[in-house]
Amino acid sequence: MVRQDDERTLLQIRDLQTHFATADGLVKAVDGVSFSIRNGATLGVVGESGCGKSVTALSVMRLIERPGRIVGGTITFGGKNLIDIPDDEMREIRGNQISMIFQEPMTSLNPVYTCGNQIAEAVSIHGGMSGGEARKRAIEMLSQVGIPDPARRAEEYPHQLSGGMRQRVMIAMALSTNPELLIADEPTTALDVTIQAQILELMKALRERNRMSIMLITHDLGVIAEMADDVVVMYAGKVVEQSDVNTVYEHPHHPYTRGLLASIPRLGEKRNRLEVIKGVVPNPLNLPAGCLFQRRCPSAMPICNVAPPFQEVAPGHLSRCWLTPAGDPPSVGEAPSEQVALDAAAALSAE
Amino acid sequence: MSMSSEQTRNPALETQPGSVPVPAGEEQPLLVVDNLYKHFEIRGGPLGVARIGAVRAVDGVSFTVRSGETLGLVGESGCGKTTLGKVILRLLPPTSGRVIVHGKTIFDLPTAAERKAGRKPIALSGQAMKAVRRDLQVVFQDPYASLNPRMSVGEIVGEGPLVHGMSNKEQREELVRELLAKVGLNQSHIHRYPHEFSGGQRQRIGIARALALNPEFVVLDEPVSALDVSIQSQVLNLLDDLQQELGLTYLFIAHNLAVVEHISDRVGVMYLGALAELAPVEEIYAHPGHPYTVALLSAIPDPDPRHRKKRIILKGDIPSPANPPSGCRFHTRCWLRERLGNPERCVAETPELRDLAPGHAVACHFAEDVSAENIAMAARSSSI
Repeated sequence: MVRQDDERTLLQIRDLQTHFATADGLVKAVDGVSFSIRNGATLGVVGESGCGKSVTALSVMRLIERPGRIVGGTITFGGKNLIDIPDDEMREIRGNQISMIFQEPMTSLNPVYTCGNQIAEAVSIHGGMSGGEARKRAIEMLSQVGIPDPARRAEEYPHQLSGGMRQRVMIAMALSTNPELLIADEPTTALDVTIQAQILELMKALRERNRMSIMLITHDLGVIAEMADDVVVMYAGKVVEQSDVNTVYEHPHHPYTRGLLASIPRLGEKRNRLEVIKGVVPNPLNLPAGCLFQRRCPSAMPICNVAPPFQEVAPGHLSRCWLTPAGDPPSVGEAPSEQVALDAAAALSAE
Repeated sequence: MSMSSEQTRNPALETQPGSVPVPAGEEQPLLVVDNLYKHFEIRGGPLGVARIGAVRAVDGVSFTVRSGETLGLVGESGCGKTTLGKVILRLLPPTSGRVIVHGKTIFDLPTAAERKAGRKPIALSGQAMKAVRRDLQVVFQDPYASLNPRMSVGEIVGEGPLVHGMSNKEQREELVRELLAKVGLNQSHIHRYPHEFSGGQRQRIGIARALALNPEFVVLDEPVSALDVSIQSQVLNLLDDLQQELGLTYLFIAHNLAVVEHISDRVGVMYLGALAELAPVEEIYAHPGHPYTVALLSAIPDPDPRHRKKRIILKGDIPSPANPPSGCRFHTRCWLRERLGNPERCVAETPELRDLAPGHAVACHFAEDVSAENIAMAARSSSI
């Protein structure tokens, strides 16, 4: 369960706003995202391309580049707001306490240095080890991530390794400083399914051994179900649903989550037709008023022209939707209040 | 918009010479692929011209596809599934082997040994091949790379009909509008350019292009892999509808076993250029006969957190197709071989595809030993 003020919270994001001032207009890639990651737990962030999941991760690392900018919110880690601290302090945290691995291991490794050198560099910068010690640590890390013959592999360049091996090297590098939080952005998307199984198994083992938290970003609902304790579902820059993994998969509340879960083909359940979510993701330069999902939503109602609040539908289960906790349309006279209904009418006439 | 396939097929195209005759009440398979090889030569040596080896991308593949069915072809990257699709369409020249469409031999290239024994190669001329191509179309994986950014949607979809003799511009535009409606695109988008569309819409343009010549057989090469989850299901349903409406036959190439299960009637599993297993879809998912198929199925994360299971984790990486292992190509990573005490036969003898049950072919010497008990034991002893 994701609680806001849990003592065991490792990282807390509140109302994060990361915007990109593009030539075509302002893109609110992340627009008021809040969630927290518990100590030792794995948080899955799921959503389709453009929903803001990667930008959220890069905001935590403070790796947002122009024309992007974090314009609001807080990211609390170890009692500090990562958005406010000076660059050199952030550099200390980045790589030391929070590490990140990316989807494409070939573009995130330096092609002109050996794998051993790159890990040793990370270790000596962040751990203050001497050259010899760092080398030993690099080889030890390569062996920890299941690379056979690590001493020889440490001498090899990234292009000499397969995709799965490169991702192992990335993980070895990310974990070489014993981070408390590992951010993994689509870590297995570029890999074949049998290699993905190897990497997921490895991440599980290392999570146990190092007692670290993981923020796992993926579009693959299978990978989330396999790995995550808590889940955040993002759509068009906002969190639309959040709960523990079982609740999200068994009792999804938000129509988008329900649509996603219904639309994936599942092994062993051959159906004649797949459920579909009609339409496409809204243009980030021209978002609809009110609920961002309403034009694709099978349950859309007049009140959806007012942005729904992100509220609890069960203890620890939040959803950004006007439907009642049971999933029914709100009846007249009940919550949402009359004022809200008036607002809805006003919004409608304004359109 | 409902149209019968007769209406879409343009009479001007129908009279083209060399069109493939469709035998009445046909029993023969629509497509026969017989012992197909595609090797890419590796050149090296001091001058860079000597042959120093070959990547055996497709290494002796045989199967048939019946009219109206969908054959799914799955395998991991580098297994040769895309190359196989391209060689069948002759988008890549084959090394040897035979492909027959509707009883018409597209090519029949003997191996070097057969050539010495006097067998002559047969291949359709360019002109004849052009006529056959109308019936064989393809949709590619990447909807960004497979559409020419300088051509409008009307030009992209109408290019095939133009090349095949539909010179009347109004007629062509009418056809393109019908096709756009058929694949669920707005007809008024005919003058737009690819960059104005989303990934899912582009894939629909690619599908409209493939259907423009009213083909019988379409190779779908990872048509939904580049798409988001919610768009994937839209395109899969569209492909389903079009198949029923137009009586299309599909070769559906993909790496996602759940997607392939959804759309296919029969499924072939490829590993390192060869078929490991070929069976009806229910059969291959309920009773996989090849240890590689078992491992592939086991590796897929189940989108249900209550089903966190022990998987069979294959050791190591896929070997290089330039130097595949001797005997059974899978023996270096095979969990079943390990369970059986590493029999020599797997290293020494290449397993042929053989019938495990009627219509269910497996290339494994020990397929009978693939049991629930052995699978469970292998999963339990799997380690990273």
